[in-house]
Amino acid sequence: MTSQYAAELCTLLVDDNFGELFATIFATLIQYDRLTLPRLRAYSRLPDNQLHHGLAAMIQQHLVYHYTSYEEGLTYYEPNLQSAYSLVRSGKILELIEDRLGKYAATLMSTIMFLGHAQVSYLETLPELQPQQTVTTEEDEQLDEDHEPKPEVNGINGEGEDPLPQQPFLLHPTLKVLAAHGYIHRVREAHFQSYADNVLDCERQIKARPHVKQLKGKKLEEKVLELTAEMLRERLDGDLTRGLMFNGVPRGAKRRRGAGGTDGPNKKARVDYAVDDDEEEEEENEWSDDEMGGDTVPMDAGITVRVNYEKLDVALRNRRFLDLAEQDCSPATIEVYDNLLRRIEYQTKECRDSAEIPREGEEGEQYSAPVSLAVLAEDVDPLLDLTGSIGPMEVSQPVNKRGKRLLDDDTNGADHNESNGVSSGANRPYEVDQHLSLLAQPPLNLTSKRMVHGLISWTVEFRHLARKLRHLELERMIEARYGDVALRVVRVLHAKGKLDEKRLQEISLLPFKDLRQVLASMQSGGFVDLQEVPRDAQRQPSRTIYLWFYDPDRIRSSILEDTYKAMSRCLQRLRFERSRLKEFLEKTERSDVKGNEERYLSEAELTLLDQWRAKEALLLGEVARLDEMVAVMRDY
Amino acid sequence: MSRFGAKKGKKLPGAEFTWDADPNGEPDTAPTPLFPKFTVPRARPLNPREQLQVDLYRQLREQFHDGPYYSVLKGASSSSKKGSAQRASFDPFHGMPSYSGRYQKKKRDIPYLRGRPYAVMKFFPRDDLWQTIEPNFKPGQSLDGWVPQGARTGVKRGFEVDEEEEEDAVKRPKGEDEEAGEEDLLDGDEDPEEEIVDDNFEEDEDEMGGDYNAEQYFDGGDDEFGDDGFGDGGGGGDEDTY
Repeated sequence: MTSQYAAELCTLLVDDNFGELFATIFATLIQYDRLTLPRLRAYSRLPDNQLHHGLAAMIQQHLVYHYTSYEEGLTYYEPNLQSAYSLVRSGKILELIEDRLGKYAATLMSTIMFLGHAQVSYLETLPELQPQQTVTTEEDEQLDEDHEPKPEVNGINGEGEDPLPQQPFLLHPTLKVLAAHGYIHRVREAHFQSYADNVLDCERQIKARPHVKQLKGKKLEEKVLELTAEMLRERLDGDLTRGLMFNGVPRGAKRRRGAGGTDGPNKKARVDYAVDDDEEEEEENEWSDDEMGGDTVPMDAGITVRVNYEKLDVALRNRRFLDLAEQDCSPATIEVYDNLLRRIEYQTKECRDSAEIPREGEEGEQYSAPVSLAVLAEDVDPLLDLTGSIGPMEVSQPVNKRGKRLLDDDTNGADHNESNGVSSGANRPYEVDQHLSLLAQPPLNLTSKRMVHGLISWTVEFRHLARKLRHLELERMIEARYGDVALRVVRVLHAKGKLDEKRLQEISLLPFKDLRQVLASMQSGGFVDLQEVPRDAQRQPSRTIYLWFYDPDRIRSSILEDTYKAMSRCLQRLRFERSRLKEFLEKTERSDVKGNEERYLSEAELTLLDQWRAKEALLLGEVARLDEMVAVMRDY
Repeated sequence: MSRFGAKKGKKLPGAEFTWDADPNGEPDTAPTPLFPKFTVPRARPLNPREQLQVDLYRQLREQFHDGPYYSVLKGASSSSKKGSAQRASFDPFHGMPSYSGRYQKKKRDIPYLRGRPYAVMKFFPRDDLWQTIEPNFKPGQSLDGWVPQGARTGVKRGFEVDEEEEEDAVKRPKGEDEEAGEEDLLDGDEDPEEEIVDDNFEEDEDEMGGDYNAEQYFDGGDDEFGDDGFGDGGGGGDEDTY
């Protein structure tokens, strides 16, 4: 990832978020990659004091790896591009969490981001995590009703005024929810060293073991490899989900109610179905469950937590699939798919097994954890109208098999079912299955069916879908740049492999002129390329075959670079725009003006401020969009 | 296809691209237009979700900016050291502190680390930064049960440049001694001093580019009533000759 534009982008992001000092250190580290403190001081030309403090703060924010080598005792510093890059994703992540787990969770998450990593005991003391500011009133009320009499909580810090005792109570459940989802994880010492350093360190330790020392040659290599992988897993493991999952669902996972789910009937339905209050919408309620009585203990105060970006990538990827499905499926199907993906997400730790995206065609099939149909049928909101959006049900008339009659009857049957949407409880799994089968249809194949121990289960083929996403993205780009003719040519090339011009023309049914123009312009853009295959040793042009080809891998990496570049240009533009308005913006940031702009700023200035905000939002939004492309090309 | 059809007026390869065939095309020799037609692509307006994401990003960034770590490089100010480069680049028109600057957002040039506990010290490199984070920390002692493994000798590598060696000479032996735990009693007093000395040294070095100071070479010689009279004032460096 240490390409020029990626480096530039990361430096700009650090600058945008943390200021010039961090950016200077970061840029120096990127340029020289691995430096000891004296070297870093010499290259960055920063005074000692600033450098020390800056480095310490950057380590706190996980922007810098450090490694103290065993033999020399010297400490080396390295830039952590991955976490610098994930700064750009913070908005997306917070939005996701707010959407799923509520406002307070988002506040907590942003606080953890703000602190880099933080101990739970420290989080307890922070004023901004006090509930009265952030929690919506209804949640607060709910909390009062439900948990006032808990002696345990009051025992912890019962003294003080009224809102205080609640605070750790809301904090700890929310922390637990985040941990159970895997959105935060425990910080281990190894997280501060780069991956390569960790590997080397493990290898060194393993090779020093006596029983490994006896081995030789290939056996030794294999053994070391195996043990290293094991040790690495052990060291880097910050998983906090253990013990927090309940029936494969993180505690506090908010069940999403159907779109039209008004609260009153919802509750009645719940009683009818005798679903336990595990299904309550408020996340807090889940802790009052008897079966989890032991779990009301707060989170261990000594644990240090930070944001787990890998897991969040999984969540964001699932959301992306959902968007993909939304294009041509009914809302009910989306809802079912959402449930499936949610279930899978709980069991998926990261997007890929391998560090790099495998090459096109070599990725094999990698299925997600299977989710059985029965579980899924339970998950799906019982009020969701599943029958309305799929075709007529065969179950409703098993007898009638004649063509025209069937249609009429079916329509009636469906209507009947719809009218009291809940009544179809018995064949609920079947309906869910139908929806999932709909999703499994080509061309997207969003799901796939499998039998696990004789039970019908549904999985998602991630690699296939990630590839599909990439192709869609590339095709969209090609169409936007070169038009639909080019898209057609590219598709033909992709389907057929390498083709000479004549064959290509025959298959794509395009006139020569168009074809050549399009091919030439695409070649100059780097999307297709030409291979020469000489028929004799002289390599005469007349006796050479020219084959056009389209290599998605190559294009992916070049597009990725272009995207980094575009993002960094956006940020640079933003910086320039800011410098143009510098005086004005400084005025708005004055401690007396900030917060009561209406009072101190004139009419024109207020409009200017609004304009500036809109402009900034547009540029940042563009960066976020480009980041989505980066995610597709690099992370998913 | 037509090429192999053996038509009588066989075209040359590439003939279909001649400008004659395309009445709208410009000849190759035409000057490139100064302002070619270009449709500026416009970004879609943000949808509500994106707007929310951007707002959250800005909110977090704002939080970072107001937080203790946000720091800018020191700009020129009238209070900077005389003769330094910063002083020279001071802007006399806008740089003067004024009354209206009272409400201006203060920007720190060094991250403020004291504001919060750093309970897990081992997350930070021990030799370089522990003292920065925890001013009370003495390099010799072990903190939360963690003892440095093995003897760490300050081995000087062969390829270090001269300017560093001097720093090393100031720092390293002290570091060794302290690690051996011999000077435990004095440590508390010495540490801040050491830092200050080091700092000064660094700045001086920037100015002079090393121990040798060519500008003062002759000054030192002029001063005939000087301490030694041997004219090696260049080594003296800091002494004021006037």
